[in-house]
Amino acid sequence: MRPPLLRSPEKVVAGVCAGLAAHLGMPVRTVRILMMVLSALAGAGVVLYGWLWIMVPTAEEEAAAGPQNPRSVAENFARYLQQGQGTANGTGASLLGTREILVGVGLLLAAGAMVAQALGAQINLQLLFPFAVIVAGAVLAWSQLDASRKAGLVAGAGADRKMGLVRLVTGLVLVVSGFLLVISGSFSWDVLLAASLASLAVLAGIALVLAPWAVKSWRAFHAERAGRIRQTERAEIAAHLHDSVLQTLALIQNRAGSEADVIKLARAQERELRQWLYADPEKGTGTLADALKSAAAEVEDAYGHPVDFVAVGTAELTAQSSALVQAARAALFNAAQHAGGQISLYLECSPEAAEVFVRDRGAGFDPDAVPQDRLGLRESIIGRMQRHGGTARVRSGADGTEIHLALPLAGADAPAAQEREAENS
Amino acid sequence: MSIAAEPITVVVVDDHAIFRSGLKADLDGRIRVLAEAATVETAVAAIREARPQVVLLDVHLPGGSGGGGAEVIAGCTDMLGTTRFLALSVSDAAEDVVTVIRAGARGYVTKTISGAEISDAVTRVAGGDAVFSPRLAGFVLDAFGASTTVSVEDELDRLSVREREVMRLIARGYSYKEVAKELFISVKTVETHVSAVLRKLQLSSRHELTRWAAARRLL
Repeated sequence: MRPPLLRSPEKVVAGVCAGLAAHLGMPVRTVRILMMVLSALAGAGVVLYGWLWIMVPTAEEEAAAGPQNPRSVAENFARYLQQGQGTANGTGASLLGTREILVGVGLLLAAGAMVAQALGAQINLQLLFPFAVIVAGAVLAWSQLDASRKAGLVAGAGADRKMGLVRLVTGLVLVVSGFLLVISGSFSWDVLLAASLASLAVLAGIALVLAPWAVKSWRAFHAERAGRIRQTERAEIAAHLHDSVLQTLALIQNRAGSEADVIKLARAQERELRQWLYADPEKGTGTLADALKSAAAEVEDAYGHPVDFVAVGTAELTAQSSALVQAARAALFNAAQHAGGQISLYLECSPEAAEVFVRDRGAGFDPDAVPQDRLGLRESIIGRMQRHGGTARVRSGADGTEIHLALPLAGADAPAAQEREAENS
Repeated sequence: MSIAAEPITVVVVDDHAIFRSGLKADLDGRIRVLAEAATVETAVAAIREARPQVVLLDVHLPGGSGGGGAEVIAGCTDMLGTTRFLALSVSDAAEDVVTVIRAGARGYVTKTISGAEISDAVTRVAGGDAVFSPRLAGFVLDAFGASTTVSVEDELDRLSVREREVMRLIARGYSYKEVAKELFISVKTVETHVSAVLRKLQLSSRHELTRWAAARRLL
């Protein structure tokens, strides 16, 4: 059985000859020579080549689209243009960019015309130029069809984006002026002007008749789309509320007897909802403040003591500043475990340094009296900060304990940070 | 802050009846609630009629042209000399805080605050001082830039070293008394600094404040 007629990936220009050869069972070279001979005959080969190029799909296209999928010329061509960019030539190992192809086609056409003229055919060069303009305009206007096909053919008119509009207008102008140039050969300018005006009038009349209908369907389309968006949003909000708030409210009703549980649940839910309502979705979650916030949430969940978090400035979360978060987390756990009540967490970031204050209102303790074997404060907080080039200081008194963590940030010169540190203390 | 012999008169403005009754029960004996309101229009009318010393004002309110608490203050600008506004909100979004403060509120507290704390805050506002929650202090530091070294022409556009210290301590969770102790100054001086910062926050046309607000999509 004969293989289907498909454009070959092993191509020099568009894979037409190779595909044809495979289809007809002839050597590629023979087909190419035949094509050239045909081209010499008043450009017949060129026309045949171009026609096959546009109408015959490539192997991948056929696989992707399926045989029963109706395919327009424009789609094929646009698809080809898209694929031409950056597709490696299998045998020649050269890249065929769109521009090269266009230049090649232009050269081929010019060559065909010259050969035809040499053979005695009368080619009106004045006609060739307008046709070239028309073709260029058509290509420009049609080429966006493929790009916007994904967004639906309604938007395919392409006027929704600036680039699309520019293409459309340029294409239109080129085609119209091309046609005018063609006709201008046979008519005088006066007649042409009158005819143009008449055409314009007819077009305007058609537009006038069709405008209400077009506006109506455009509006209906918009209304429908807006309605769909609203519906989607509503569904999303409903789903979120169901998963979070309603579940928590049910839990709270179950645990109404336990005050601690109710507070914990309410606080956790509040935090979650707040995050959902006010968090900026465009902002990544890779900042120091976000990491500290989740550490605070952990402590709240574990002990039920509210943590009041205030952040000034932002800094990226790095390996070094992760140590700061870990130390702050340990300090928060200490505070929740030993002091309880309200805990204040404060973060201040500048380009040179990050500082964290963890404050509780417990009975306080003497840092020097903490036994050597208690790792919490000594290792998790002070040791960790020192290992990463930072400092940790503990101040404890009758009205609470405050742990101050400071870390110079990478990239800043250390002396400046220390100076700042000295000034602040 | 001195405990006045006469109770401080208050109007509570909040659209949630449950919250209003809870708040009224929480306020201590120093405070007397004259009236309540649930919408922008009724709030303005109630405040004009009752002429309280302090209005406890929810930031988010139905009615009016959608401006919420800030709109209530705008409707009572002629009374700002005698009536002080203390903003209350569940939201800690920068947008809400800054809008209501710039409208003329003397302070901002979140609704999770305890009864004793809110009574203190009302007393302080009635005495003409400003009430800054840690978060509001954080916003101020963020808005005015953490650094004091930048030279800015307008006095309104930067915090003094002392004001910045006070703001930092408040953001760290210190009470006014603790701030005073920490900096070896009197509570009165702390209150003066906070009021000065409030004034700057309300009046500053600082370009950085604008930029900061723009970054948070406030403008």
